Amino acid sequence: MKKAIFLNRLKTYFGKPQNVILLLFGLTLTYTTVAPIVAIVQDTFKIHPGTIDQYLTGKAEGYSVANYTDLFTSRLAKTNLWTPVLNTVLLAVLTCLIAIIFGGITAFLVTRTNLKFKKYISSIFIFPYIMPQWTLAVVWQNLFNSNAVTGTSNGLLVTLAHIAMPLWWCQGLFPSAVVLGLHYAPFAYIMIGGIFRNMDANLEEAATILDTPKWKIMFRITLPMVKPAILSTILLVFGSAMGSYPVPHYLGLTTLSTKYVSMNSKYTGEASILAIIMMIFGILILGINQMSLKSRKSYTTVSGKSGQISKINLGKAGKYIIGIILIVITFFTSIFPIVMFTLETFLPNPGDYSFLYTGDFSNLTTKWWLTNDNNASALYGQKGILFNELIRRALSGTLLVAVCCALIAGTIGTLIGYAVSKNRRSKWASYVNNMAFLPYLMPSLAVGAAFFILFSNGKINLFNTYTLLIIAGVVKYIPFASRAALNSMLQLSGEIEEAAIIQDIPWIKRMTRIIIPIQKSSIISGYMLPFMTCLRELSLFLLLCTQGFILSTTLDYFDEMGLYAFSSAINLILIVLILVFNTVVNKLTGASLDSGIGGK
Amino acid sequence: MKKKFLSAVMVCSLLATSLAGCSSSSDPGTSGGSTTGTDTANQTQQTQQTDSGSEAVDPANMTETQKIIAEAETMTLEELAKKAIEESNGATFYGVGNSSRGKTALPLFIEYLQSIDPSYTLEFDWQQPKNNKIFEQLQADSLKEEGTFAMTLIQDGNQIESKMVQTGILDTFIPLDWAQANGTTPDAYDGYLELQLLNKVFMYNTTGDKTYDNCWDFVAEGSHPLFMDIDSEIVGKNFLYMLTQDTYAQYLKDAFDALPADEQAYFQPTIDSEKEDAELFGLGENGAYALAYIKLFVGAYNAQTDDGPICQTLVTDSATDQSGLLVYSKLRSVEESAGVSVNNINIAAYQDGYTGIGGYGYCHYLFVTDNSPLPWTACAFIAYMTCTEDGFSAWGKDMGGYSSNPEVAKAIETTYEHSKGGFNEAGEDEFPAKDDRGKEWWVGEGQLVVEDPQYCASVAFTVGSWIETLDKYTGEESE
Repeated sequence: MKKAIFLNRLKTYFGKPQNVILLLFGLTLTYTTVAPIVAIVQDTFKIHPGTIDQYLTGKAEGYSVANYTDLFTSRLAKTNLWTPVLNTVLLAVLTCLIAIIFGGITAFLVTRTNLKFKKYISSIFIFPYIMPQWTLAVVWQNLFNSNAVTGTSNGLLVTLAHIAMPLWWCQGLFPSAVVLGLHYAPFAYIMIGGIFRNMDANLEEAATILDTPKWKIMFRITLPMVKPAILSTILLVFGSAMGSYPVPHYLGLTTLSTKYVSMNSKYTGEASILAIIMMIFGILILGINQMSLKSRKSYTTVSGKSGQISKINLGKAGKYIIGIILIVITFFTSIFPIVMFTLETFLPNPGDYSFLYTGDFSNLTTKWWLTNDNNASALYGQKGILFNELIRRALSGTLLVAVCCALIAGTIGTLIGYAVSKNRRSKWASYVNNMAFLPYLMPSLAVGAAFFILFSNGKINLFNTYTLLIIAGVVKYIPFASRAALNSMLQLSGEIEEAAIIQDIPWIKRMTRIIIPIQKSSIISGYMLPFMTCLRELSLFLLLCTQGFILSTTLDYFDEMGLYAFSSAINLILIVLILVFNTVVNKLTGASLDSGIGGK
Repeated sequence: MKKKFLSAVMVCSLLATSLAGCSSSSDPGTSGGSTTGTDTANQTQQTQQTDSGSEAVDPANMTETQKIIAEAETMTLEELAKKAIEESNGATFYGVGNSSRGKTALPLFIEYLQSIDPSYTLEFDWQQPKNNKIFEQLQADSLKEEGTFAMTLIQDGNQIESKMVQTGILDTFIPLDWAQANGTTPDAYDGYLELQLLNKVFMYNTTGDKTYDNCWDFVAEGSHPLFMDIDSEIVGKNFLYMLTQDTYAQYLKDAFDALPADEQAYFQPTIDSEKEDAELFGLGENGAYALAYIKLFVGAYNAQTDDGPICQTLVTDSATDQSGLLVYSKLRSVEESAGVSVNNINIAAYQDGYTGIGGYGYCHYLFVTDNSPLPWTACAFIAYMTCTEDGFSAWGKDMGGYSSNPEVAKAIETTYEHSKGGFNEAGEDEFPAKDDRGKEWWVGEGQLVVEDPQYCASVAFTVGSWIETLDKYTGEESE
């Protein structure tokens, strides 16, 4: 009897697709998420030959707590731990603020007002996210560095306008936060804009009918409705900013991630402790989000009743003035870097803009594109961009990894988002959701290191294979899709699917005919974000493959070497690639990264 | 029920991952016969030795690769080539190195083997991990019974000694021809095998009035030499370690003595304040001069991501009065333009009246991995690179890199005439900074500070840890 009841319960349980999804991915994600954590925790206790723990313990192998005692109590504690922690928190908070304010306001203006030039602004706004984050840092350096302040050659601003910006503007926290904020603003724009566009205007209309002041409508109705998107943005941006290595590295800010890299050779175990600290921050943020998730049920924004959005009138002149201001701002964040990248590929020497003040254009050259000889000393032993096998091979590798990661992570993430939204009150669903999200909160470098250890041993050796890159990418990028899907599914009234269930429509059909079409823009974002991120991911893949294997490692190599013509060309390739994919997806599905917000 | 189930899942996962972690961190096995380090026979006064170095290794304790190496060390290049053909015809050769030019050398090596056996083929893959990752890559590869990488070309003697050699991950192979060219034998030679010595030299921009005629000028008030961040390029840290060795501390003392009294007075308090630390670290009589220089250098240098950007900065006309310590060969690719010229810089050590250290020399070493899948081919390739002009040509075509084989070095100079690198076709010395004075000049008159792996490893946690406590330059003084 008991057995029959159990089997019956089991049958009922597995009769719901969301339960199958949760069980399957719950188990898989537990392994793929916990294994890297365990590997890093283990690493903090391990004695590494040739590092401080060997020196302190006098042993060449085994386990010890020496790394903990040294990191927290030695005279280097301030330098190696507390200062980086403080800088990291400040950087993450400032980045979130800049991203949300800039991205959120732009999203609001594009979706909820009668702003002019919407289509252009919407398309151009996502450019900084398309470009690898450190390229904006390099552009910043090229623009503001000066002999007088940074002790280098003069950047464009000094060369052309004789203005030397102060040091706090050129290096450290401020430029790092601005660059990262600009980089992640499209994130906020997509997340918040998606909600603005899809939100039910009935509540606002009701408030308007009741003669509620506009500011009150904004703070009591509109903002609470976009709160889940803001929280998701914070969650994603905070973790990313905290784990960002290249931007603070290029702009001279010591954070946990730059310290992790600098300590890794001599203080390997202590570096792993820094990685754990970053994870703890991530888990804290996750906890805060978890608390807020419980209250999200109040914010259903898409129902089966109304989809009309009321537009705020900016005034006859206002809609043009604000539009032009946004065009100017986005020119500097999106167009100017591209112009710089293009120009860089024609300069005689990297960063040599002397033609601008001499007016002698004969110094410009096509050698960076057309040289077909790797012995040419002028190209530092590299062939020109059009003939460079390294770049060609990296491009095909990147495409393979990005497409696979996007398809796999996008699908898994969407399914998890759907299943979690269906079983919102279940602890298991919450657990699966958190397991899926945890890798995103871990610093990419640490995740890369852990995967490197896990898959580089006598039994399994996947180092420098696309398989390993895809596995790591999928685990890392599932949150993009799961967050996007969860956010949109939470807005989706249950009545819609229930109506189909009553009609006995199969689950696959419900998904493909009802749920996915309604939330197409968010779901497409769930595929496009992993794709775009994967195209220029560096920290995660740094340890898993060699340079030349994918474009980002090749790009970083050229940037570090100061061969900006090559790195700029790769940037242009990446931008073109993403735009082409965005257009293709748009043509095929009618949705794209920005069209869901204001591109159409 | 749910809680129990969740707990069970978590426990299983943790156990599984712990086991996976344990297996991946298992001891790679010590090879017993780790190689030892001295510098090349003809090079400098420095001697590099490892702890186990000069002891004869019992053949019974040798790994398979070490046995092959012992046999290979009795063979000429041609004999090795035949062994390589036998071993690797149709195979794929994986190499990993700090220099990308292994990729250029490999096709030449294959051509050489094909000149012996035209039917010979070899696919290859040469990897160049960034920054310090080569050590992690080799460590991970060493966990396998048979590794992926057949050999490596690697820099940073300090880490090689402590992480690679003492742990038995890498084995040194000394080619017979190379040893003979250096007037020694593989058995008698007691060091790592160098492919080349590279130099980073002090340069300064000449578009202003500032001159640098003493190495202390680079750490004087207001000077901020551009230098690769010592936390990014760890081999740069070895430069600082080496300054504390007696020879180089003496160079610094002599240079200090040559300073005018007012400049001495500026540096003297720092030197005095370091006497106690010098004693604590067991340094020689001039140790305080070295520590003072290091302290001032760390507090002064302007950290950059690579030598490339440093070079590009210094040669511009806007980098007035700036200086740098960078790889000499970077000058090779500068293209003259309105704002950029090689003649915008001077090589400090080339200037008349310059006193003190002229730069820093570090080596690219060659090793066979102890679990090499193609040990014979690795040995043959190593011998080819170190014993033939063609083999070294990938590096030799540029100035600032000196083969450890005197015969190869001579042939390279004859072919490429680096000593006249700045001469134009009319025979005029158009860019004197590019006239490479060669290895002997640099390690002698040029007072190049040459890396000694064993010394670096010995002070890494005394002087090295002290360096980490020093305040780095953040740019604030330049406002």
